[in-house]
Amino acid sequence: MKIETSRRKFLQGSVALSIFGGTAMIPAIQLSDEKDTNTKKSYTIPTLCEMCVNKCAAIAKVESGIVKKLDPNPAFPKSKNMLCARGVAGIHALYDPDRLKYPLVRIGKRGDGKYKRVTWDEAYEAILNGTNMFKGLAQILDEEKDNRSTIGYCAGEGMAEHTYKSFIADKLGSTNFVNHASICLQTVVSGYALTIGSYGQVDLENAKYVIMAGANRAEAIVTPDTMDAFKRTRGRGLELICVDPRFTHTASQADKWLGINVGTDLAFVLALTYVAISEVLYNQKFVAENMHDFDVYKAHILENKYTPEWAEKITGISSENIREVARGFMAAAPRAIYYQGRRTAWSKQDFQLRRAQAIFSAMGGGIDIKGGIVFGKKIPLGDHEVNTPMYANAEDRIEKDAAAIIGGAGSWIGWRNKIIEGRSSYPIRAMFTYKQNPMLSVPNVAKTKKMFEQMDLVVTIDTMPSDTVMMSDVVLPECSYLEREDPVRSFGGVEPSIALRQKVIEPLYESKPVFEIMRGMAKKLSLPLWEITKKYDEDVQDEIKEMKPAEIIEYYKENGFDLNDAFVHSQEHINKERVVSEHGEKAYEVLKETGVFYPNKEQYYKQVSANEFEYYPEDKRHYTISKDGFEADVYHDTCLDEKALAAMHSKLKTQSSKVECNLPNLAKKGVDPMPTWREDLYKKTEKGKFRFISGRHAQFTQNGTSNNAMLLDLVRENYAWINQKQADELGIEHGDLVEIESKIGKVQIKAYPTNKIIEDVIFYIHGFGAQSDGLTLAHRNGASDNIIIDDVIEPVFGSAAMHETDVEVRRVAL
Amino acid sequence: MNYAMALDYQNCINCKACEVACKEQNGVQLGADKQRIWVGQTEKTIFGNPFVNFYPSQCNHCVDAPCVDVCPTGASYFAEGGLVMANKDKCILCKGCMEACPYDARFVDDKAVAVDKCTFCYDTRISKGETTTACQATCPTKVRLLGDLDDENGELVQILKNRKFFVLKEGEGTVPKLLYLFPRDEKFAMNSIGEETQIYSWNEYKSIIEKASIKRGA
Repeated sequence: MKIETSRRKFLQGSVALSIFGGTAMIPAIQLSDEKDTNTKKSYTIPTLCEMCVNKCAAIAKVESGIVKKLDPNPAFPKSKNMLCARGVAGIHALYDPDRLKYPLVRIGKRGDGKYKRVTWDEAYEAILNGTNMFKGLAQILDEEKDNRSTIGYCAGEGMAEHTYKSFIADKLGSTNFVNHASICLQTVVSGYALTIGSYGQVDLENAKYVIMAGANRAEAIVTPDTMDAFKRTRGRGLELICVDPRFTHTASQADKWLGINVGTDLAFVLALTYVAISEVLYNQKFVAENMHDFDVYKAHILENKYTPEWAEKITGISSENIREVARGFMAAAPRAIYYQGRRTAWSKQDFQLRRAQAIFSAMGGGIDIKGGIVFGKKIPLGDHEVNTPMYANAEDRIEKDAAAIIGGAGSWIGWRNKIIEGRSSYPIRAMFTYKQNPMLSVPNVAKTKKMFEQMDLVVTIDTMPSDTVMMSDVVLPECSYLEREDPVRSFGGVEPSIALRQKVIEPLYESKPVFEIMRGMAKKLSLPLWEITKKYDEDVQDEIKEMKPAEIIEYYKENGFDLNDAFVHSQEHINKERVVSEHGEKAYEVLKETGVFYPNKEQYYKQVSANEFEYYPEDKRHYTISKDGFEADVYHDTCLDEKALAAMHSKLKTQSSKVECNLPNLAKKGVDPMPTWREDLYKKTEKGKFRFISGRHAQFTQNGTSNNAMLLDLVRENYAWINQKQADELGIEHGDLVEIESKIGKVQIKAYPTNKIIEDVIFYIHGFGAQSDGLTLAHRNGASDNIIIDDVIEPVFGSAAMHETDVEVRRVAL
Repeated sequence: MNYAMALDYQNCINCKACEVACKEQNGVQLGADKQRIWVGQTEKTIFGNPFVNFYPSQCNHCVDAPCVDVCPTGASYFAEGGLVMANKDKCILCKGCMEACPYDARFVDDKAVAVDKCTFCYDTRISKGETTTACQATCPTKVRLLGDLDDENGELVQILKNRKFFVLKEGEGTVPKLLYLFPRDEKFAMNSIGEETQIYSWNEYKSIIEKASIKRGA
């Protein structure tokens, strides 16, 4: 990344450019900033981590204005007194010398990394009116006749995601939002929501039998699941079955590892279901009372002969093992869980897989019960409303036909491909990106690059100079999570609580919280964009044609066209209102002081040993929410908009308030009403090729931590796992450079031959291989998976099916 | 006071939170080979199936510590509570202690130009009133428990009275104080513990510690 700085500014001495900083890791460089000299205080303050999606509670220790240590905050029931490697290494995200430090405007060709440092006002001005290098929003919206949906925008998961989304969706008025859901857990959340009413949570403190398929809680940490599970595995009450093409750390803790063929999990679950039905192992009372159309499903399973012998041929798992697991599961039920899992869609059949899992789990009766899938309780918070204007010319999102059901979170691949293939009904000309790095996170990087190149305006808000930042025209530096207060949040569950991410230190450099960035943008854009609305919006024209100028201003304010009204109060003020209105002043004080609040906390919360705390007494925990039905009031980090999902729910009219075995309404959209194995949707790996799979581990979060010096000590780069026997045949040894090529791209990466992966499969960890030279440590470190992952669309929700790519592997001769 | 640590290593998922917490807490030099604590990973194949085990480890603060014996300057010494410490001011980097340590628990800190090692966070936490080490506090599955072997009623000794345990390389005779709790799963115990490894009860190990303490004149 090259940054042009005027000599005058450079001499001010507050510039710590990455190109000069090199790999120096000493925070003192940044602290020469004059504005920090008045904050040299020492204190501790509770906050919430943002190194991944879990939001674990931390206590920051600050000495002389410098964050010295992040310790676990024991008071939070969700994270249960722990902070993982990434959480503790958050300090290195805060003091990363490569951080984005001030607003930048592009002065070179898009992608070549030439930027000029500007003031915040100049950056907002560039967004509004462009520069000689790119067009601004005013011109674009004028040319598009106030079709606000010409602005595309995307976001990664985070506590401030809603602030950003709300500004562009509700205030600016664009419908074209894509977030992480369609490259994340859209299918699994929807599959469980449509089947049992909610994705739910799992009670791994009390479960006796858990099937973890594809999920890897020992490495892809989810709190409290990870802590609850692995204190009870291997002879300690929780029998764990790990189903995965790889022998993961989770497999090492499991009683049984079943190395399944990639993309065949649905066949495995259908065969489990067959065994449970044919041997009448399921909970007949629960099924009779709580499952809708079970008889239809039963007949469907039996008629299709989803026998263990049938499944063995597809999955590679022996029929004996399938029978044993089905029997073991049902014997332990209802304290038996087919773990939902998270992550992305794997195959085109992913939605039906998740439905089948949920139905199989329900057949044991392990829904809304201790030791099963639980829904818990959520502590209320006061509302915060936004005055939303109506733009008559804003059109519906462009990729509604990309899959059977496209929700408010969109289909990343479907959406992008519409744009680059010119199949969109109107042009998407501007792209706003927040806390997401589509250049590394969306399958088929070449196509994502093409999409950015096509845009008239690209605005990116981030903390680090990611590959996506390099494709941007205006770069707005967000401060890290340790430098801001985020919207207060209620965490539902068996042991519900409210927790707060508080500002630990003032933002470094010129970075700002996204709330303040939106506030500044609103101020700059509001009146000029209102002029465009008045010019083209016939509804508005009709309503204001008789009005006097003062009345028009009144109309503009009353109807939400004034973008500033969303930011009248500070985030801190809004948070206080939301807590105090429901729980009183004292609750807010407890929240500020300890980071966590829940009713009766002072009475319930206690330390029970050196390492363990109790949050609720056993009889006060919310294992069951209702006696007569399930509510869908808890969405556990779903990455999905609750409202969108609830609406979807009612549109599909799944109102039996029972477990839905059969959804005839889906058939109208061309989707199987019951989980059905589709031979035409399953592609076997071609001979001589390998199926490529990706995954996560406990030391990095996607690509967001790729430049973290501390974490790179733990895992320097990613390696391609290949079955030992096949590596021997190909003459590949540990550390050899191999080329992995799919039909859309190729990478070079070091090899890791091992017997911990089944044959015909290649795996490497996601998140490496950044191309941005603004990232000193992550730059060209390892390989990016999305360079080779083909953009295959899962047909129900338009998710990216990430395990449908075949690759060739060859040793690179050096 | 006699500091020791019990490790319920069956809980370990090798997430390496402990390694990072140690480095951040104690200002340990960056670099993959600069570790006061670590999680060892052993792999083998049993009847065609992979078997993987994790051994979280660090300095054993041995009762009969050879690193103290070989140090020519007194830089390696026994401190409060039987802790084995390295005084960086006295260290001349002869590295004799690094060779003497059977556990490879010492390394060169290039910033201080001296040997560095685990202190059970005595200087950074325990002496300031904390009751846990950084590695213990941050651990998701709570593998570690720091305690006092002299306190018969303390949590550590209570656990050791209830569960058997083993130590690493007891044949070296250093009387280490990282006490690995015997797994609650026979099969896992069989696969993760060497056949020769001695399994101790509290009373058995207590007398070994007492003998070693007398030898050292403690």
